[in-house]
Amino acid sequence: MTTGIRFDGVTVAYGGTTVLESFGLTVEPGEVMALLGPSGSGKTTALRAVAGFVRPTAGRVFIGDRDVTALPPHRRGIGMVVQQYALFPHMKAGANVAFGLKAHKVPRGEIAARVAEALEMTGMSAYAGRYPRELSGGQQQRVAIARALAIRPGVLLLDEPLSALDARLRSGMLTELARLHRELPDVSMLYVTHDQVEALTLADRIAVMDGGRLQDCGTPQDLYRRPGSAFTASFIGSANLLPVTVTDGGVRLGGTRLDVPAGGAAAGASATLCVRPHLVGLGAGPNALRGTVTEVQWRGATHRLGVDIAGHRVTAELRELRETPPLGTEVTVHFAAHDAVLLPAGADGGEARG
Amino acid sequence: MLVHSPRARRAVQAAFFALFLPVFALPFLVIVTASLATGWSGAFPSGATLDHYRAVARGDALDALVTSVLTALAASAAALVTGTWAALAARGTRARRVVGVLFVLPVAVPSVVVGLALLVAFSEPPFLLNGTPAIVVLAHAILVTAFAYQSVAAALDRLDPACEQAAASLGASPLRVLVQVRLPLLLPSLSAAAGLCFALSMGELSATMMLYPPDWLPLPVKVFAATDRGALFPGAALAVVLMVTTLLALTAVSRIRTRAAYR
Amino acid sequence: MASTEALSGRRPPTALPRLRVPAWALVLPPVAALGLVFLHPLALVLWQSVSPEGGGHGFSAYADVFAQAAFRDALRNTVLIAAGSTAGALVLGFALALVIAFVPFPGGRAVGRFVDVFLSFPSFLITLALLFVYGSAGMANGVWTGVTGAASGPFDFLHTPWGVLLAEITYFTPFVMRPLLGAFSRIETAQIEVAASLGAKAPRIVRQVILPEALPALAAGGSLVLVMCLNEFGIVLFTGAKGVTTLPVLVYGKAILDGDYTGACVVAVVNIVLSLALYGLYRMLTTRMDGVRRARA
Repeated sequence: MTTGIRFDGVTVAYGGTTVLESFGLTVEPGEVMALLGPSGSGKTTALRAVAGFVRPTAGRVFIGDRDVTALPPHRRGIGMVVQQYALFPHMKAGANVAFGLKAHKVPRGEIAARVAEALEMTGMSAYAGRYPRELSGGQQQRVAIARALAIRPGVLLLDEPLSALDARLRSGMLTELARLHRELPDVSMLYVTHDQVEALTLADRIAVMDGGRLQDCGTPQDLYRRPGSAFTASFIGSANLLPVTVTDGGVRLGGTRLDVPAGGAAAGASATLCVRPHLVGLGAGPNALRGTVTEVQWRGATHRLGVDIAGHRVTAELRELRETPPLGTEVTVHFAAHDAVLLPAGADGGEARG
Repeated sequence: MLVHSPRARRAVQAAFFALFLPVFALPFLVIVTASLATGWSGAFPSGATLDHYRAVARGDALDALVTSVLTALAASAAALVTGTWAALAARGTRARRVVGVLFVLPVAVPSVVVGLALLVAFSEPPFLLNGTPAIVVLAHAILVTAFAYQSVAAALDRLDPACEQAAASLGASPLRVLVQVRLPLLLPSLSAAAGLCFALSMGELSATMMLYPPDWLPLPVKVFAATDRGALFPGAALAVVLMVTTLLALTAVSRIRTRAAYR
Repeated sequence: MASTEALSGRRPPTALPRLRVPAWALVLPPVAALGLVFLHPLALVLWQSVSPEGGGHGFSAYADVFAQAAFRDALRNTVLIAAGSTAGALVLGFALALVIAFVPFPGGRAVGRFVDVFLSFPSFLITLALLFVYGSAGMANGVWTGVTGAASGPFDFLHTPWGVLLAEITYFTPFVMRPLLGAFSRIETAQIEVAASLGAKAPRIVRQVILPEALPALAAGGSLVLVMCLNEFGIVLFTGAKGVTTLPVLVYGKAILDGDYTGACVVAVVNIVLSLALYGLYRMLTTRMDGVRRARA
């Protein structure tokens, strides 16, 4: 069985608006790829281009080694799960799961067993005789997943599958999806989400999207530790983004020289320095910066300090402090050279999201 | 909610019923009572009788009822098929606006004119329909198609495309999606449209007056003929038969609808 | 995963050569049917109206018809009765719908359902009922003669335009109520409660909160009723009044009673133009209402 998805320069435009631009990405067989981005970033459009509900204006979409760009949805052999479940309200759960099997002309005798197997896999065996309206949201989503898996697709598309569930159900379903991935090691999954926790938990790799473009792609660890752009840095976890100038063997923030590996950047170039808040320390140390305390938040296990350094705001996430510095006092913060990442300039910098 | 003091609320409600009952309920009450009365020239009818209904059961009024029901069934079926087809095919295409205007047009054209147009168009070979029951059915179908189209088109607009897309992603061909997903989801609206079409066709008078052949007299024409020659009480009995048949059809349809309304 | 090869989705796309029909082409059969039985006959009516009896083509038939006093009377009656009925139905319908929606009372739902049923009954039933109530030998006059001993009662308006007006207002009011009830159900009760908590009295709430919200529905219902009044035939026919002729009745009279098809077609064209102009207005208002609703959603 060939699985895996390949986007080859896919562009999608409605009218004059380009919602996806020269999108190129390969999902390996058996891989879980998360498409992560804010709303309007083009991630759902990319998924719908694989499903066949969106026709690219340019580029090609491959499932396995098959070019499916011109194929109608029903001939692509994919499984799809969407946010609103989209169960057929006039069919019982069992009939919902059987629907795809009948459409695929699976022999009649085989259908019952495969429906039972799919419902078993999602823990919904006891509910086969219920109508969707008689099931809770979480149960409906399990049936929807069973329905998509019953046809044994090589590719499973998940479009914000947990967004309609409440927080407690969501974390349970996340565990379930991870288990399904382990049980079905051959199935490639494309998982669209705006929630970084879902992406970090579930994905083998994450593709970060913004403004209809692919911004960054890598394993969760890579993207978190070595983000390739300011957008990635701020969208996955939170980040301090500081505008700096590259010098010989370091960078300068305003008047302060910092010891940061500059990589290949030429001296005199502008760049953005990224430091995760939890890697910023209070007190003297390497790369010390002096500033004024503007905000103190107690968050239980940690304290979050906002420090104004020459007009730039730096956030430090510190293990709970015995005594917090009063607002307006001068403090020194520092970070280790290897905890900092130098990013190309052009980012708007500013406060991190999330 | 709008009126808070109980006394003011009671006053508003009293005014409502003082207006609503005489204007809307009284007409039907009067017709039903008259159909059971021997005469009525004072405040109350003079005597009770079932003679008018016996006359209905005996005479050609029964034929008129059958004629009306057959016409309504045929016209509703034709209108539903055409209206549903048009609404389904036009959905999501650029033709939608044009089709919408065309199919709602019969509402704007006076029914009498629809009758006249059919007379003008179908009075000569090769389309010699004038003088046949077919022309009456055709007129009714044209007049009720607009309602069938409108209710199906409105229901399609409300239909969540997610279900159909899920079906397509599961490998269902467009035909399978139509038959197994879209039409079942439309069933409540389709049955409502069927009920409306049937009711409107049962009561159609204007175009029918222009077209009916002597051997195809629908009930409304019969009611008019009776009242026109002064036989108001038998006319009332016929009108009651008309209303009851319509109500029965609407009830049957709403039964189907309740059973079909899944969510 | 043995059976996956059997899935149709696994086949290469060239395996099933198919006839490609563009999606819009499926629209053609029903449109063609409509064209054959409705649009084409309508065009023939137009054609006949400019083809006078004597042969040739021209507007002489229009000149003839426009010169007739009966036609001018009918045109005036049609417009006046339609305008009056629409105004009456709007006022009555707004008041009644307001009570049903915002002054809840037991049986309110039943009343709403009754309105729905009312819509599916033919219009002439109203005239028939009014004959029993206000006819020369009807209830009202019977009560009057019984009480006063007079030879005949005072109620004799049924065969005048007023009788038609009363019947049309009665019949068409529910057509205004239905879209209004729909619009009212979309008004959040919280909005009204907030307005009330800010000290607004009922008339002010109606004027400033409910009316603006209901205006599109009121306009849509009103123009629909206006068109239906212009086209109403059954009510006028059943009054049997020789004095009240409207355009549809004139079409019927000319075509069926006089056998004057060309004259009937001329009147029909005038009636269609009048209705279509108002129907266009109705479509404009409803699309705008849809736009507003979609913008809010």
